[in-house]
Amino acid sequence: MRIRVTVNGDVYEREVEENRSLLRFLREDLGLTGTKEGCGAGECGACTVFFKGKTVNACMVLAVEADGSEIETIEGEAENGKLSAIQAAFDRHHAIQCGFCTGGMVMSVRELLRRNPKPSVDQIKEGIEGNFCRCTGYQQIIEAVLDASGQLGPGAKGELKYV
Amino acid sequence: MLQRFKYAAPSTRAELLDMLAERSSAAERSSAAERSSALERSSALLAGGTDLLVNIRAGVMRPSLVIDLKKVAGFSGITWSEAEGLAIRPAVTINELLREDAVVARFPLLADCAHDLASYQIRNRATVAGNVVNASPCSDMAPALLCLGARAVLSSARGRRELPFSEFFKGVKKTALAADEVLELIVVPASSQGARGAYKKLKRIAGHDLGIVGVALSKKDGLIRLGISSSAPTPVLVDGLREGEDVEALVAAAAKAISPISDVRCSKEYREFMVETFVKRLAREVA
Repeated sequence: MRIRVTVNGDVYEREVEENRSLLRFLREDLGLTGTKEGCGAGECGACTVFFKGKTVNACMVLAVEADGSEIETIEGEAENGKLSAIQAAFDRHHAIQCGFCTGGMVMSVRELLRRNPKPSVDQIKEGIEGNFCRCTGYQQIIEAVLDASGQLGPGAKGELKYV
Repeated sequence: MLQRFKYAAPSTRAELLDMLAERSSAAERSSAAERSSALERSSALLAGGTDLLVNIRAGVMRPSLVIDLKKVAGFSGITWSEAEGLAIRPAVTINELLREDAVVARFPLLADCAHDLASYQIRNRATVAGNVVNASPCSDMAPALLCLGARAVLSSARGRRELPFSEFFKGVKKTALAADEVLELIVVPASSQGARGAYKKLKRIAGHDLGIVGVALSKKDGLIRLGISSSAPTPVLVDGLREGEDVEALVAAAAKAISPISDVRCSKEYREFMVETFVKRLAREVA
């Protein structure tokens, strides 16, 4: 089936098999490998992307379902080579170890901050509950989200009192 | 990689019902022994895909055709009226349900169960209808729908029929749906609005997880109802209980209704213990 999708503002037209997941389509057909496959079954969130403006696990969407839709991935997060506020906060707080969860994690954080610009620690935990970090860097990720949302004052970095 | 299948996205109800009639007659043509595997290989309905695509990937389901419901006219959206109650259509996602004012204001138990279902991004895709049609014993929506006396409207080319969810679940992953039927509507009656209630779900972790035991309790007009998941082959309704009754009577009624098993997630005895614990806590906490 021929599909036409807009990914990070670029329009792509491709022939896809009906059984191709959106995740495989992004990675293998479009070469956008920032979105990762962890479990392939909706547990880990490494493949989180925006589909029609909502976060989804791309492993559980068919590419054919995306025909005519807009998709945003981690490749669209930085603008003109400049890290977004979320990415810069992840960088500052060492919220990235192996990096495998980071693309999906940043997508979920973007969605969380759009809904709730000043989330509490509990709300952050809930917002990223569908994204596993197996380096278990949650502490740093939560601090990065607090920072990205302007909730860490000077000198607070490194202290654990927020979590 | 998913096995191969064809994909169809009917835009009208009539088109969809024709496709379902076809799958039903294909199964009829096969021998009794082969019928269930013939059905398994025929076609499958896709809404959110959070169960279906995982099952296809695991080889549990092998449909030759995947029929997407989301483009069928009239299969989207939630409506509320005093006359018709709350009508939830097949493409309604869990997060859409949670954003609906009528749900939050009138059916807080529905929102409580929905909020406990999986993770945010799964709730963006998973549908209310899919969660019940999948007929998992650990369905999170079933306990609320059972407590609130919700009805299932099943449609086929032959016509429509309606039944309460207490008669909808027939076994593990088995429902009252015939091969040519689709769950077109979930109706929560207006008479259940304002029911006080809450849902307690035992999980291994605080984050998203399948339920090990789930208990919903609702109170309305002096009556108490329990909806219990992961404790029997199907989600279970316990009704006919009165407010003011001793909590031990609730516990006994719940214990009688369930038939838990021991499995990889916990023992039968632990499930029995946690159902009792949740019933007691809910009876106390739901004012």
